[in-house]
Amino acid sequence: MNKPMPLGFGLGLRPVYYRELLESRPNVDWLEIITENYLVPGGRPVAMLERIRADYPIVMHGVSMSLASTDPLDFDYLKALKKLADRIEPRWISDHLCWTGVHGVNMHDLLPVPYTFEALQHVVDRISRVQDFLGRRIAIENASTYVTFHESEMDEWTFVREMAKRADCWLLVDVNNIYVSAFNHGFDERQFVDSIPAERVVQLHLAGHSDAATHKIDTHDQPICADVWKLYEQVCRQFGEVSTMIERDDNFPPFHELVAELERARSVYAAVVHSREETTA
Amino acid sequence: MTLAELQERFQAGILSEEAIAPRFVADSKRTNAETLFAVYHNAYRLRLAEFLSNDYPVLRYYLEDEDFGSLVEAYILAAPSRVRNARWYGARLPEFMRTHARLENDMQAIDLARFERALADAFDAADGPRLSIDVLAAVSAEGWPSISFKFHPSCELLDLAVGTAALYEAARDGQELPLIDEGEEHILFWRSSDHQSSYRLVSPDERLALIEASAGKSFAEICSLLQFQGSGENVAARAGEFLTQWFAAGIISCLALDD
Repeated sequence: MNKPMPLGFGLGLRPVYYRELLESRPNVDWLEIITENYLVPGGRPVAMLERIRADYPIVMHGVSMSLASTDPLDFDYLKALKKLADRIEPRWISDHLCWTGVHGVNMHDLLPVPYTFEALQHVVDRISRVQDFLGRRIAIENASTYVTFHESEMDEWTFVREMAKRADCWLLVDVNNIYVSAFNHGFDERQFVDSIPAERVVQLHLAGHSDAATHKIDTHDQPICADVWKLYEQVCRQFGEVSTMIERDDNFPPFHELVAELERARSVYAAVVHSREETTA
Repeated sequence: MTLAELQERFQAGILSEEAIAPRFVADSKRTNAETLFAVYHNAYRLRLAEFLSNDYPVLRYYLEDEDFGSLVEAYILAAPSRVRNARWYGARLPEFMRTHARLENDMQAIDLARFERALADAFDAADGPRLSIDVLAAVSAEGWPSISFKFHPSCELLDLAVGTAALYEAARDGQELPLIDEGEEHILFWRSSDHQSSYRLVSPDERLALIEASAGKSFAEICSLLQFQGSGENVAARAGEFLTQWFAAGIISCLALDD
């Protein structure tokens, strides 16, 4: 398995930051787009992406593949995605382990999957079909979830590991999602990280969340919290050098604050590498 | 239970007005299934409401939170999303308002919604060439009557209640809101070359010229129609003025000479 080359430390490309990215050339190694925002006929989003991609490697991150849905795969969507990928030349394409609706309805949410053998086979089949259609491996992200199902027959991490192996896909590990789901469902996040096959991890997400006392919600509108930074350190030890980015989708801070958060991610990773070198020496 | 059954029931639970967790949802150590399921139930409504607020900020200001909230709630209940892009979810809101009991007779609100929808649609409509007026230099005097045009894909012409544009501007700028009058005004929407949605009021004869030109009619045919509609003596000069404005706005994508 030849994993794509690590890209370093990146940010989500959001319209509020177009200007800073183009004018100040900040210390950001790469950018992740929300695919659907650019699946529009034309106008500013597509024009800006064309300009920005001249300076930054781009990764396409989607929210509509609905890989776990029992509705048929949406090949109109996949065709549009492939066309955009041909134009943008992303380093890889990712989406989520989730479903977004059935009976033709789009709930515009990343809905939770029961961890059953039936769901596993279903998701594996669909990832394989998507990969065949796109002619490339895709990366699948673990979603934040708020409920569990009595029907589940295995842990989330077992499901993810088996899915990646059987579908022969990449993994996008969202560190914040592990933390949120671990809190909500009472599992040990370290066990999740330990179970993930490092050779399949091509990307990490970092983000902030909201706290509702009895549960946490993945809102991407807060700075990354101390516990997630701590988990990120463990993830760095476990997976080594992996392209890492920060997702921010609301309550947008001044751009330099996001860049400062990204610097912190660089430092955490550098410290892990340094301590590993000292141990080896 | 099959995966399909579980998904159908989970989705139905979110779409239903009351947040009742399906029986297959488990309690967590800290709280019950109802509370956890409500995260999805609430998020669904909040997200769709946010899409509509993003697309109709001036309508929201005009209606104020209570009426806008009631409209949004009714729309969400009546129209689950069947589009993959949030941008398109609110496309049918103006049409829906005609059937919404509290707003069906409020032409100001309905036309304000149509106005905002047109701005949103122009924003990410398909790209297309923008010809310079210099192309006309290549047209011979004999060729003029037969020239025809294609407009930029972002162009849209709407007939709205008189005063809608002024109402939009006042609401957008937080000024005192004017009342609309009887009758119609004609507004051309398009995306300018700097990617901004633009609009301007057009006169009845320019509206006619735009409709005819969009239908592929020649310059001579447009002039004949203007003449017939009583646009004054020198209709060719009048049509020429329109043409100059269209080129200046960058909305002519193609010029054809019909030999």
